[in-house]
Amino acid sequence: MRLYRDRVTEPPQTAEPTPVPGPAPGPAPGPAAADGTTPQTPAAVRRRAALTGAAVSALLILAIVLGSRLLRDFDSALLPYAVATVFLAFGVAYRYTVWISAPGARRLFRQGWRSFFSAANFRTAPTALPKMIATYLGFQKFLGARSHARWAAHQLIFWGCLLAAAITFPLTWGWFTFTSDSGSGPGYEMRIWGFKIIGFDALNAVGWLMFHGLDIAAVLVIAGASYFLWRRMKDRGAITGQRFAYDLVPLIALIVISVTGLLLTFSSIFLHGGGYEFLAILHMVTVVFTLIYIPFGKFFHIVQRPAAVGMQLFKYTARRKDDDEILTCRRCHEPIDTAPYVENLQGTMRDLDLGFDTWTEYCPRCKRVLRGTAYLDHVKKGFN
Amino acid sequence: MTATDPATPGRPVPLDPSLAPPGTRNFRDAGGIPADRWHADQNGETLVPTHCCFCGVQCGMYLRVDRHGKVFGVEPRNHDINRMRLCPKGINAYQQVNHPDRLTAPLMRRNRDEEFREVSWDEALDHTVAEIRRIQAEYGNDAFGLLGGASLYSEKTYLVGKFARVALRTRHVDYNGRLCMVSAAGANKLAFGIDRAGNPFSDILLTDCLLIAGSNVGECFPVMTQYLWGARDRGASLIVVDPRETAIARTADVHVAIRPGTDSAFFNAVLHVVVAEGLTDEAYLAAHTTGWDEVKRTVADHPPARSAEICGVPEQQIVQVARMFAGADKAMAWHARGVEHHSQGVENCLSIINLCAATGNIGKPGAGYGTITGQGNGQGGREHGQKSDLLPGGRSITNPEHRRQICEIWGIDETELPPAGTSMMEMVWQMQRQEIRGLVGICNNPFVSLPNYATVKDGYDTLEFHAQFDFFLSETAANAHVVFPVTVWAEDEGVMANAEARVVKHNKAQEPPAGVRTDTWVICELAKRLGAGDKFAFPDSRSVFEELRIASAGTVNDYYGITYERLEETGGIAWPCPSTDHPGTPRLFENGRTYHPDGKIHMQVVEWHPPMDPYSEEYPLSLTTGRTVAHFLSGNQTRRLGALVEQTPRPWVEVHPSHGFRNGEPVRVVTRRGSEVFPALVTEAIRPDTVFVPYHWPVPTAANALTIDALDPRSKIPEYKVCAARIEAAERIDEVPAPPTAPGHQAYPETQVSRTDPLPPTSPQGRGTAERS
Amino acid sequence: MMGRTIFIDPGRCIGCQACVSACRECDSHRGKSMIHLDYPDEGHSVASLPTVCMHCEDPVAPCAEVCPADAILVTADGVVQQADTTRCIGCANCVNACPFGVPKIDLQAKLQMKCNLCYDRTAYGLAPMCATVCPTGALFYGTLDELRAERPGVQVADSFTFGSTTVSTGVAMVVPADKVQWPVPGGLPVVEINGRDVSEANSNKGGGGRREGVR
Repeated sequence: MRLYRDRVTEPPQTAEPTPVPGPAPGPAPGPAAADGTTPQTPAAVRRRAALTGAAVSALLILAIVLGSRLLRDFDSALLPYAVATVFLAFGVAYRYTVWISAPGARRLFRQGWRSFFSAANFRTAPTALPKMIATYLGFQKFLGARSHARWAAHQLIFWGCLLAAAITFPLTWGWFTFTSDSGSGPGYEMRIWGFKIIGFDALNAVGWLMFHGLDIAAVLVIAGASYFLWRRMKDRGAITGQRFAYDLVPLIALIVISVTGLLLTFSSIFLHGGGYEFLAILHMVTVVFTLIYIPFGKFFHIVQRPAAVGMQLFKYTARRKDDDEILTCRRCHEPIDTAPYVENLQGTMRDLDLGFDTWTEYCPRCKRVLRGTAYLDHVKKGFN
Repeated sequence: MTATDPATPGRPVPLDPSLAPPGTRNFRDAGGIPADRWHADQNGETLVPTHCCFCGVQCGMYLRVDRHGKVFGVEPRNHDINRMRLCPKGINAYQQVNHPDRLTAPLMRRNRDEEFREVSWDEALDHTVAEIRRIQAEYGNDAFGLLGGASLYSEKTYLVGKFARVALRTRHVDYNGRLCMVSAAGANKLAFGIDRAGNPFSDILLTDCLLIAGSNVGECFPVMTQYLWGARDRGASLIVVDPRETAIARTADVHVAIRPGTDSAFFNAVLHVVVAEGLTDEAYLAAHTTGWDEVKRTVADHPPARSAEICGVPEQQIVQVARMFAGADKAMAWHARGVEHHSQGVENCLSIINLCAATGNIGKPGAGYGTITGQGNGQGGREHGQKSDLLPGGRSITNPEHRRQICEIWGIDETELPPAGTSMMEMVWQMQRQEIRGLVGICNNPFVSLPNYATVKDGYDTLEFHAQFDFFLSETAANAHVVFPVTVWAEDEGVMANAEARVVKHNKAQEPPAGVRTDTWVICELAKRLGAGDKFAFPDSRSVFEELRIASAGTVNDYYGITYERLEETGGIAWPCPSTDHPGTPRLFENGRTYHPDGKIHMQVVEWHPPMDPYSEEYPLSLTTGRTVAHFLSGNQTRRLGALVEQTPRPWVEVHPSHGFRNGEPVRVVTRRGSEVFPALVTEAIRPDTVFVPYHWPVPTAANALTIDALDPRSKIPEYKVCAARIEAAERIDEVPAPPTAPGHQAYPETQVSRTDPLPPTSPQGRGTAERS
Repeated sequence: MMGRTIFIDPGRCIGCQACVSACRECDSHRGKSMIHLDYPDEGHSVASLPTVCMHCEDPVAPCAEVCPADAILVTADGVVQQADTTRCIGCANCVNACPFGVPKIDLQAKLQMKCNLCYDRTAYGLAPMCATVCPTGALFYGTLDELRAERPGVQVADSFTFGSTTVSTGVAMVVPADKVQWPVPGGLPVVEINGRDVSEANSNKGGGGRREGVR
């Protein structure tokens, strides 16, 4: 018996150039030649990715220093978190660079941005992009088509994490401060980069929300992540395919972060700080781990998902031009996809030395029927 | 093929501009179950071993049952009949169990102008019994009839026969096996004195030459194909006799595409060549047969040249088949409805038996003869007394000794036992003549399955009272006065005998839904209210089976040695099995003796005659009907299963390109009984003088509105497989109606999405996965 | 090369579509059928062709190579998985790049799906659903030796030609003994000769796409 989780490698392991290197050791990408662009060796890609990562990290450090008014607002207790975000920035930039260096992603990346910057597009359909972002990235309608329950759970995690990130990242970077004239409330004012944004009373509703935003986020995340964890323990399809590091660790991390975060509140309100230090350390360790993990595991989809919008926008732009932009199958004349999309795919296939790129002008059914006909004609017609 | 919508000019581009080529984008979830409700919960799942409810192969399968005791899926089972294989019907069978279209309360109305209303079991039963009493008091016991079915467990078929004779005391009982393989039964009885296939499926693997006559094995018995291919892997040659080039005929060594209705002319000529070339087994004939001289004289008058003319096949092919079959060391012949559904169905089967007997291919490993039964219990259903002329154990109702035995077992006086009745089609004619005024139907749907729909509808409409048992509201039940909601196969236990006469046990996988009762319970309740309760004190299938064992003991169809426990241990026992230590009899005639008193094969003279519906200038073509792989019999079950509807949403007319039609064009098929419009499936895989329509759908798309109600004089099987017809261009294709449902319900919409697709399937087996709308 | 894999023999296929229904029953497919069953000889014979993922080995998984989101993973023993649900962006690159016409796409769910050799079954030592139920053995799962034990002397081929390119695959097809050294034709018709579009002559239904010679 072979267990699936023992068999998975990531990404495709091959002697041939593969599109994208994974975080796991493996050959890095190297499209032999990419129309006009300089050939990229795996080492070159890694070098460039490291440089990009370093640059982005440096920018983030600069932003932290400036945003915290030269560290005046910086809370040194949050230093480990801030360091982790710098590593996160490096990792994301590195992985992102490597990712879009592969032919498939690179071509789509370019086409997506080309559509984004298309003035014609902006003029004739100004609402298209915001709508797409809202549909795909915000409300994630496509997940509803997969499963209503999973959509609901994912929305909980998504909005929970977004809320938590919106609160904590600026706090750790020293961009947000909450100050009180009296030193201990109840009147507070919130400042960003030293500028006062709002003043509020810690005892009213706004104040409660301000102070308990993270607790709300934690509740949302716990509900969503628990559903996913429960599903991963009972769903036969999910169980056989899942890998601990890839599928379960992220859920466990989210739950631990949220639970310890809630317990910190609980401890300060009801236990007068009992166990606070231990919880704080556990919380910090998990958060730091999770931040550093983001570029390398399941969470990388957060970074990748906007590509869906780029892809949609690219196809949308092509279809808006006129009817002729749809390529039909050479044999059955049924539509395949937009012509610029098919051209883009053919380019990708040429980059990858896949020598059957003209075959994309046939629809999959005709490919199968033609192969079946060829088999009947040239290999065998009957039983023997 | 349906064109997808490319952005038509002027229409705004949708925000989601995605396109995908045909066949890549349509996922219709099984049975319309939404993907997020797909059951993948493995906690507490149990697998219940059972068999498929559909055809006579009786493949083993497991039903997956969840923690709440509900059937939710299927898992292949390594039973030695099917070795884990299943056909599309078998895979989807489980979806019937908790199907939204199920009937869950008795339906009743006083006359056919009213709507059905849901009533209590007591009200439905009391009303039925009152009507039975009224009709029988006024017009005599025989004015009430009973029609059973061969998809019932053997226990229930036994009860149908007993209920008719003991509780209703009517001679008029018959069953839908009359429409299935009674011609083979008649021929088997005449030739061998026993009514079953001579060899098990596994013998096919041992043969050197396999002749399949009139059976589209690839579509009607898909799982049996593995035996055909297995034989060929081991070097056997395959001969297929069929007017259509079916999936097995496509690659066969010889495909004899004969004109429908000429089978016995063909087999007589084959035997002629066998005799002429000295390929007969004279030693075997002398030792084991009677009547050979007469048969030999008759076939002498059927030289290949004459039959080639009749059958529309090359003379050389007849010679080739004769040499191949008779020249093989071990040869085997299997046939099905293609030769049986004729006004000379018995003769057709006898001509094949003659060929096997003359070449000594009977009762040996890899050599023999069999019929492939169409219904799940096609074999068992005809054995224990629901046939108009038979009593349990295959006893004859006209034989005084047999009558005495059964009366003793049932505890009734011999004078109380009614005489033989009439066949199913004849009963319909009697309904038209008001000789039968009341009817209970159990497990059948004659509005789709009997020929000449106009006559059938008229007969049923003339009935003063009509009750049906069913789990989905069939077209026939929808026309009844009372409908009893009964269990599906997975909600009760019982035995069935497959085409090998192997008795297999079906197990109960879940409790019936509230309001649903077993057929056994309903029959016993009716008997109780008719005053025969003491003869019908059966709490369950097991108690019926115990009586059936005793009732069959000592007969040819001996079940005495078969018990539920033994069936569970062995996975099936072939009858005759006279004692509980008997291993059963998978292969007959191994000792060279048949079940006639003299132990000989009684060879019968066969003379070919033309089909009953004469050809004329007006009706020059042969219309033949049959099944398609995704549907079963009258379709009351399969037309409700989403995946099967998606595979084959509608019937079509299969025509040769020489008629000049293009695929999908509306073609009117006209016979002397009616006309209907089907989309054309134009293919070279059918004879130019023949058109084919599958029969699983109701009017106005019913093949059986066109077929002829001519019967074989001996077996009374209708001549489904040939009638005279013509085809003509038409304007519009007749749409398939939705399956009937109880008032207030509609056929589960997700399963019916493809039903109104007007196009024919890509191939007789269905629509390719890329051609689905 | 070949370990336990699927062997396809269209000569045995009766086109019954048991595989199509069975594919839905696999828990990891969640009620969706991913196998294809085509009748390539429509109008002439009832011949049929089942298509499962061929699990390309060289070049390894073109679908995974063209994927912009790294969503298609290949296991160590060469099984090309369906798209990872968290990564797939539904761009259809794999659908149109696959030379065998295998992947399907759910446009609403923005998700590619394809034959994954029923990993929920193979992981437990069971055969994939389609090959388990196939009434005729047109789809057979096992080793070549196991296949030969059932069908003495059977020959298989695992390379396919598309124009000048040869693709070798993890799934094999049954071929007659005299064809075993040949790559099986993949069906790619000759589209252009010396710049002239000859697809008309090579296609059953004639005609090229609306745009000619994109390349």
